[in-house]
Amino acid sequence: MKGDMYIARSEDKEIVEKAECGGAVTSLLKFALESKRVDAVVGVKARDGNRYDGIPVLITDPKELIETAGSLHCASPNIARFLKEYLDGAFNSKIAVVAKPCDAKAIIELAKRNQIKLDNLLVIGLNCTGTLPSAKAKSLFKEEFGVDPADVVGEDIEGNELIISLKDGSEKKKNLAELEEKGYGRRENCRRCETNIPVMADIACGKWGTTDKDSTFIELCSEKGAEFFEAAIEDGAIKVEQPGENAIESRKKKDQAAVELAQKWQEKDFATLEEMSNDEKFSYWSEQFSHCIKCYGCRDACPICYCDVCFLEAERGFIPPGEVPPHMLFPMVRITHVMDSCVNCGQCQDACTMDIPISRLIFMLSKKIGAIFKHEPGMDVTALPPLRTVTDQELSQEGVEVTF
Amino acid sequence: MSIECLPTICPYCSCGCGINLIVKDGRIIGQEPWKEHPINEGANCPKGKNAYQFLYSEDRLKTPLVRKNGQLQETSWDEALDLVASKFKEATPENFGFIASCRNSNEDAYVMQKFTRVVMGTNNIEYCGRLCHSPAAAALIPAMGSGAMQTSQPEIELADCIFLAGVNIRETFPMIARRVLRAKARGAKVIYTDPRKTTTARHLADIHLQLRSGTDAALINAMMSIILAEGLENKEFIASRTAGIDELRAFLAKVDLKQAEEITGVPLEKIKEAATTYAKAERGCILYDQGMSQHYVGTDNVRNHANLALLCGHAGKPGSGINSMRGQINGEGSGDMGCLCVFYPGFKRVGEDSAKLFEEAWGVSNLPTKPGITYIDMLYKCPYLYIVGGDPMMVVPDTNNVKKALEQANFIVVQDIFPTEISKLAHVVLPAATWVEREATHTWIDRRVQKINKVVDPPGEAKPDWQIICQLAERMGRKDKFNFTSSGEIFEEIRRCIPQYKGITYERLSKTVGGIHWPCPSEEHPGTPTMFLEKFNTPDGLGHFQVVEYKPPAEVPDEEYPYFLTTGRSIFHYHTGAMTRRTPKLNDEVSSSFVEVNPEDAAKVGVKDKDLVTLKTRRGSIEAQARVTDEVPSGLLFVPFHFADSCANVLTISALDPSAKCAETKVCAVKMEVKA
Repeated sequence: MKGDMYIARSEDKEIVEKAECGGAVTSLLKFALESKRVDAVVGVKARDGNRYDGIPVLITDPKELIETAGSLHCASPNIARFLKEYLDGAFNSKIAVVAKPCDAKAIIELAKRNQIKLDNLLVIGLNCTGTLPSAKAKSLFKEEFGVDPADVVGEDIEGNELIISLKDGSEKKKNLAELEEKGYGRRENCRRCETNIPVMADIACGKWGTTDKDSTFIELCSEKGAEFFEAAIEDGAIKVEQPGENAIESRKKKDQAAVELAQKWQEKDFATLEEMSNDEKFSYWSEQFSHCIKCYGCRDACPICYCDVCFLEAERGFIPPGEVPPHMLFPMVRITHVMDSCVNCGQCQDACTMDIPISRLIFMLSKKIGAIFKHEPGMDVTALPPLRTVTDQELSQEGVEVTF
Repeated sequence: MSIECLPTICPYCSCGCGINLIVKDGRIIGQEPWKEHPINEGANCPKGKNAYQFLYSEDRLKTPLVRKNGQLQETSWDEALDLVASKFKEATPENFGFIASCRNSNEDAYVMQKFTRVVMGTNNIEYCGRLCHSPAAAALIPAMGSGAMQTSQPEIELADCIFLAGVNIRETFPMIARRVLRAKARGAKVIYTDPRKTTTARHLADIHLQLRSGTDAALINAMMSIILAEGLENKEFIASRTAGIDELRAFLAKVDLKQAEEITGVPLEKIKEAATTYAKAERGCILYDQGMSQHYVGTDNVRNHANLALLCGHAGKPGSGINSMRGQINGEGSGDMGCLCVFYPGFKRVGEDSAKLFEEAWGVSNLPTKPGITYIDMLYKCPYLYIVGGDPMMVVPDTNNVKKALEQANFIVVQDIFPTEISKLAHVVLPAATWVEREATHTWIDRRVQKINKVVDPPGEAKPDWQIICQLAERMGRKDKFNFTSSGEIFEEIRRCIPQYKGITYERLSKTVGGIHWPCPSEEHPGTPTMFLEKFNTPDGLGHFQVVEYKPPAEVPDEEYPYFLTTGRSIFHYHTGAMTRRTPKLNDEVSSSFVEVNPEDAAKVGVKDKDLVTLKTRRGSIEAQARVTDEVPSGLLFVPFHFADSCANVLTISALDPSAKCAETKVCAVKMEVKA
């Protein structure tokens, strides 16, 4: 049933060896394909075994699933975009997709906008407390850990520590907060993210609440997820036990700690922006956006941006063409079109050529709007975005007239 | 259902940014970030974000074309190549010229120069790098031993003073502007020389020296004079790593700063500020481009900037040096491969010794020992021409005269991916495969060799450039020396002939994201991000000062032609527009040519924004739409060179640098009238 929790393990030796937490997820994906419940699986694999080069993959042959087993912390491909852009939004096929919380939230927002057919998706969510930027992670391992990046065979974030496992079987760990003070560590948006357990997916899978390395804690988050998981148990695809109260409690506590840490980072990152006077803000952002070279990287990457012919395109005639930096209307429109629904995936930040802190700004605005409208993006596909639900009366508060 | 995500490198400029191509059923349907790539870490500039669309343009050349009764008609490879072979057999070592491209691969370039030398028996092999970075070789080989970029792109972030000399970097190398921005975030100061107040001036530079066109040498002399007067030169560096300071010092003692102020139009205070900022820096980095090079004094300009770098000790360490910024995907590589009339591969100067060396390497005899003819001269002197991947009808100054000369040619072969202006004059047009349609290596701006894998098939009957040349060589009786069946085989020969490439292999490149910097002398060697760490590549290992006297531009405004004209680029386009004008998202941004006119000048002549104006020089005239803007100062007009229908080089002057043989496309005199 929806809400049930399990400790799950795979029985497949090959999968268990390659997997992160006992291979339950990989075995579930195998079951989904073999039982023809889905036509394909979308996952992430290390291209040519390179942990720093995680790419989205479309798998129809269950034998290829093994390549997606094991967690990659130095990869953040844009899964929601991959589904929307290259797989027709799952309108024409049934797909099981492996999703971090941000991926799952992005999928929900796209589903709200009729760009992804949620009914055709089985979203297998993975717990996540952050990924590392892949190019910089190699410097991190070299400079701070003193290892050859090629020798790293695994990474883990456990509480306050970043732990790496090396080819020779040894482990090295460092304090994550210290690394992040130095400019290393997780992607900036990851640090601010409070959504560690993907309850908006169909099932949520992770290591919190487990007591040994070869098991996965599963929470069934939807009826669809429950039905699927129960069928998997019956099929023998995975073996399950009930988690004890301690396990459930431990998982809650770890999540709580991660949420608190994220809130601290939000406070820290937003403080510098919020403390500015209006004049200072205007100055600061004018300068930041003056660096923009109109690459459309942020727009392309953003899961919320989906318009066939975007307002910002030269052919629309709104933004004066051929100018860099583009007219201030460019960033303003981008921000106002998405800020009510930002899922904090950070893909825009990864894409920005000029290091403009857009993900910081847009997420900050999104949190404020969320508080005012009691809306959290990416959680409930039936919860329409504020831009859609705002009333005339709300718009004309504070004496502001909005006319069209 | 099958989708692949395949890595490649952007086909445009010389930064070498990574991209992931999304391929479905043998066709590229999209592109996504490649976040591991060290150059761009998943970000791309506007052109890089629209990298592949040009491949699928309707008018890709798909079959060989031969001109019959004045019209280019489709024909078979056999007929086309038989014709070319028979015609080239008529040519002599003096009247044949091969113009290779900055866009073809290393393998292509290597085969082209080998063909020209072995089959055609001449050193008349050039490439379009002649037009832009020949001053780098001419100035920097004497100064420091090499004209290549001295540091690597990531290391630019280490600099605490970056001197952008004649490079509108925000528009021309956005991904290097990113490095400059990061250096600034760490406290670096940015100096910028440009007659225009471009976005680089307004949004990146701390000190904009808005000098009069063509006065760079005078500016640098003034700066060096100030540095010496204040005792800010790097005495230790000068003493241990340079030669020739006495002569320079004596010359600079005579510099009149007031006169320099008048000549350059830059207030003395500002010159002083720039000079002291650069001299006092820990790690000064000069990044220079066409604002320096494309003058008839281009070599002098580069010499003087090299002097500045040596004077202040800003060379021979990471994030430092004087860095020529080649702008094309193989600007460095085609030169390395020897597509220059004065260099055999690996920069072995043409002569008896190098000829002998390559006779042994190639197992041939009678290789040519005399330097050949340079690019622009070839157009006027060689009635038999083979032109690959370039358009002399758009990129060489004084287009009308170039056209007259080319119309007299006996036989022109053009090998390209699209019909171009030059193909309109060709007798034979051959369709080439490009970019991800073949396996190849290129060498990007910081001597970075990367490999491009084949991802899709070329259209129609198009073939890789090297393959076409090999088939031609076979028809001309030299199959034995052009027996290559793969680009990999060519690269192995390159490794044997060019010491800087010796340690680079296809296998190493496949495993090394971001490629390998030459010099790489062995397979264990990691490559060389920064050059000259211990010593310079000159015979005595020292950096050499070269005295430079200021010379004014070849043609300055007068009563009849009252404005300076300068030419340049827009971020949304690439060179002759062959690729970008066929990419809707880029072309929509700037879909036709324009001329920047200062508001004062506009008012005087009655020009309003968006008016069509006629621009006229002593060479010819074109029309362009006016953009009234203070991006240009009063007295200066700017035209981009991306538009065949409004070709900037119809206006420019063919004044050539005596050492480098590049042309003064950056300065001439022009007049402007509103079109009735």
